Amino acid sequence: MSAIEFKDVCRTFRRDGKDLLILDRINLTVADKEFVAIVGPSGCGKTTCMRMAAGLEFPSTGTVSVSGKQVIEPGPDRAVVFQQFALFPWKSVHENIDFGLRAKGLPETERQKIIAHYIGLMNLKGYESAFPHQLSGGMQQRVAIARAYALDPEALLMDEPFGALDAQTRVVMQEELVKLARKNPRTVLFITHAVEEAVYLADRVVIMTSRPGKVKEILDIKSVRETENWDQHQKIEDVMDLASFVHLRSRIWKSLREEHAGDH
Amino acid sequence: MFVGSRLSTVLLVLAAMIVLWYVATTITGLVGPARLPQPLEVWQSFVAIATDGYGNGRLHQHVLHSLKLVAMGFTVAVCVGVPLGLWMGHSRRAEALINPTFLLLRPIPPLAWIPLAIVWLGLGDAAKILVIFVAAFVPSVINSYTGVRNIDKPVLEAARMLGIRRFSFVREVLVPGSLPMIFTGLRLSLQASWTTLVAAELIGALYGLGSILNQAAQDIYPAMIMVAMIFVGICGATTTWLLGQVEARAMPWRHERALQ
Ligand SMILES: Nc1ncnc2c1ncn2[C@@H]1O[C@H](COP(=O)(O)OP(=O)(O)O)[C@@H](O)[C@H]1O
Ligand SMILES: [Mg+2]
Repeated sequence: MSAIEFKDVCRTFRRDGKDLLILDRINLTVADKEFVAIVGPSGCGKTTCMRMAAGLEFPSTGTVSVSGKQVIEPGPDRAVVFQQFALFPWKSVHENIDFGLRAKGLPETERQKIIAHYIGLMNLKGYESAFPHQLSGGMQQRVAIARAYALDPEALLMDEPFGALDAQTRVVMQEELVKLARKNPRTVLFITHAVEEAVYLADRVVIMTSRPGKVKEILDIKSVRETENWDQHQKIEDVMDLASFVHLRSRIWKSLREEHAGDH
Repeated sequence: MFVGSRLSTVLLVLAAMIVLWYVATTITGLVGPARLPQPLEVWQSFVAIATDGYGNGRLHQHVLHSLKLVAMGFTVAVCVGVPLGLWMGHSRRAEALINPTFLLLRPIPPLAWIPLAIVWLGLGDAAKILVIFVAAFVPSVINSYTGVRNIDKPVLEAARMLGIRRFSFVREVLVPGSLPMIFTGLRLSLQASWTTLVAAELIGALYGLGSILNQAAQDIYPAMIMVAMIFVGICGATTTWLLGQVEARAMPWRHERALQ
């Protein structure tokens, strides 16, 4: 069963008294435990797609479903990692991760085990009682990722989670997310406008057209990654030097360039 | 260290002001006794009211009486105003229901309620508490309301995503998220309480700092007027400081320093 499914999804927004078509008949399925990245020019509706899967936004026509259930409201089965982290400033790192677990009604001992596990995995040891504003942007986003993974969701939805980070932190986070994703495969819908990031992280990359956003093409990365054995490299720059990576990256670049050219 | 140096600055400025006052009135006589009493006179008036009393009571009785009125008016205003503001901020329906009335009542100065309060409740304490309540109520409501509206939208969405239920949403998201603005409101409410207290006590009060002011004005006793004014200042500053202590303890996340 496909974990996330967009079926003939259209979305219009009202602007200046006119209905503006933002998303045009999106059909997309993300398989169970698959990591799909969406790239596209800004304003093409990527965030809107993710918000519809999260239940924070709704299609004008068509349906979005997760694990066969139509999405009607936000919930812990679809964990979101926001670009601006969206941590609770008044809660410590530990409490931020614990919040969703308590809402789920898990017993104390199990919660402690889960929190300790993700604190370790996301390199947050020693910072359990720190408040978000005491941490760097990269660490805050690691807390947000830990908070999302800890929910054990059916789908993880990430909207440019590294967009607000500086270049170095971003690279570290990408490497950590790859490790986490390979060790702990989940269904992930990952929005980005960084092509390298999409190719490095995803099993498949969806390229969208400029507004109104449509699915332009879908590229299979996973088969290339496995035959070329990208995961033997620890560092992102080593993977980015591989001919197979360069090839895929320029394919996507060219496809996106056509969209920008058609903008005006 | 930091607190100590700040305290000594305050004391230094106070001492300088008293010296200046002393020079202007007692040493040079630049400011005549009809305008401004001398420090010694004020001290003597203070000793007189503290030991023998003035205007129906001794100083501590007046101070305690005023404190009691402020505490009651302020507490009731906060207990009603903060939840109301939070509710208005959270629910569009509550806002639509309450806001029109509120917009109409808001421009009326709290002191304009004094005649009505006297008609309703007479010259006793209840009328004064009502006027303090009205004055303290408005900033509590408005700032709590603004506090809710200022909570980061993604943070609210994160709370919904994490599956928060209604009650814990109020306790764990709505209130802490609005707390900085709630405290801004409380500070303004407290200020308004003291301002209106003195005005309310000017009319027909037997006890209280305002009644000393009133009595001393009738007796043409400037030194006693100054004693009362100084004690209004001390009471206002002390309660504001106490509120600041509560604020720091209520929001530890705002006061922890950056790590590393
Ligand atoms: N709530 C909204 N109301 C009106 N317009 C919106 C709303 N949300 C998004 N849009 C518009 O939809 C378009 C796509 O937005 P978005 O999904 O954020 O694009 P992307 O994430 O790809 O940059 C933009 O033009 C944006 O202005
Ligand atoms: Mg976006």
